[in-house]
Amino acid sequence: MKHLIIKYKSFFNYACLAMLTILLTNAGKVVAQGIPVRQDTSSDDIVSTTRKVVRKTPVKNTFESNWIIESQTVMVPSKGTLEFDIQHRFGIVNNGYSDFYGLFAPAIIRLGLEYVPVKNLQLGLGLCSDRMQLDLNGKYALLKQTKNGMPVSLTYYGNMVIDTRSKSNFVTDGDRISYFDQLMIARKITSKFSVQAAISLSHFNNVPGYIDAEGIIQNTVKNDQFTMSFMGRYKISNVMAILVDYDQPLTQNVTNNPRPNLAFGLEIVTSSHCFQIIAGNCQYILPQNNALYNQNDLTKGQYLVGFNMTKLWNF
Amino acid sequence: MKKSILMSILVGGTLMCLSFTPDSKKPWNAPAAAASKANPQKGAESIATGKVLFAKHCQSCHGKKGMGDGTKASELKTEPGDFSKAVFQSQSDGAIFYKISEGRDDMPSFKKKMADANDIWDLVNYIRTLKK
Repeated sequence: MKHLIIKYKSFFNYACLAMLTILLTNAGKVVAQGIPVRQDTSSDDIVSTTRKVVRKTPVKNTFESNWIIESQTVMVPSKGTLEFDIQHRFGIVNNGYSDFYGLFAPAIIRLGLEYVPVKNLQLGLGLCSDRMQLDLNGKYALLKQTKNGMPVSLTYYGNMVIDTRSKSNFVTDGDRISYFDQLMIARKITSKFSVQAAISLSHFNNVPGYIDAEGIIQNTVKNDQFTMSFMGRYKISNVMAILVDYDQPLTQNVTNNPRPNLAFGLEIVTSSHCFQIIAGNCQYILPQNNALYNQNDLTKGQYLVGFNMTKLWNF
Repeated sequence: MKKSILMSILVGGTLMCLSFTPDSKKPWNAPAAAASKANPQKGAESIATGKVLFAKHCQSCHGKKGMGDGTKASELKTEPGDFSKAVFQSQSDGAIFYKISEGRDDMPSFKKKMADANDIWDLVNYIRTLKK
């Protein structure tokens, strides 16, 4: 167990170092991504002099979807966009042919709807088959990467999840609720390659407990879990990209420490859809559940396949 | 008697079929003000952006080279046109911009999907490169 933790920690250190190197070495050279700076020329009627106003154009399509595998991206679609999500995670492949490598195992499904009522703000809700959890979520783009200006994009994402199962599963109604807050920073480094780093806090009003030797109820894990995430997207054609997502739990619990998540995916985008076929070791879809309860261990081959599909409408 | 019934069915059927035949050659002219709009975008960078947008938004109907032979083309009621031909390319940039922006029949409007007008101008610039 110890050597596994050490292995994960060293991987985490290398990932941090790589991310910092990429961000620092590219801080000075902002890539235009095909969007030239617009130069609006306006004339002053009274003085009749001409001024050039250089508008900092936001860099577009750092990511093509709200999702990269298990994680949110900095992207907030344009105002008036309605998105419908279908997310599906099959079972782990370990059982082999008996459940056809997880494809016939019980799956977790989430259906979601998100809408952008005002520029840079997205509001949404979703329902997940895992414990019938209803999520209400919001995302706001705080900063956007621009050409010759802001080097990165910064976005906040938060949700509140309500476990909607019957009352018999809870002591109080407050036990149903958990929260997730995440701050994401991303940069489109070249027209094909984008990276993102994020820090998140998952809070559960109630966590599983056990009765210790003295008969006192103890929590198996802490109510708050910090997680660091790194992800990247590399375009292999105008409509296809390779995705990678790594999530490192930071909070150390007495027992049941969550496992890091490493996932890969292939993304295909069309005018109104985004498809992601993925393989990784998280299966809960909702981010706080992945952050705190993921016990699938990649080193034991406990990974699974799944997909994200989104459909967009513009109003 | 039987012949006249058969003839009636035949004539009626033909007329019905004709009434449902799509008018694929329906003229589509952009308003003069829109057609005369100047294209503010130019250069290789604009064409490169337009190429990416074309692959994402247009290729499935209009085909990889804009010849109207995309994978969805056969499902369309209206003819997607051939961007490589002089007839299409003789239009002004403004006219092409207007058609992408507003859409008509099977051709969707892209003014909300591509909220930045410069994206549509980039697309126009790329479509110009499809001329043969």
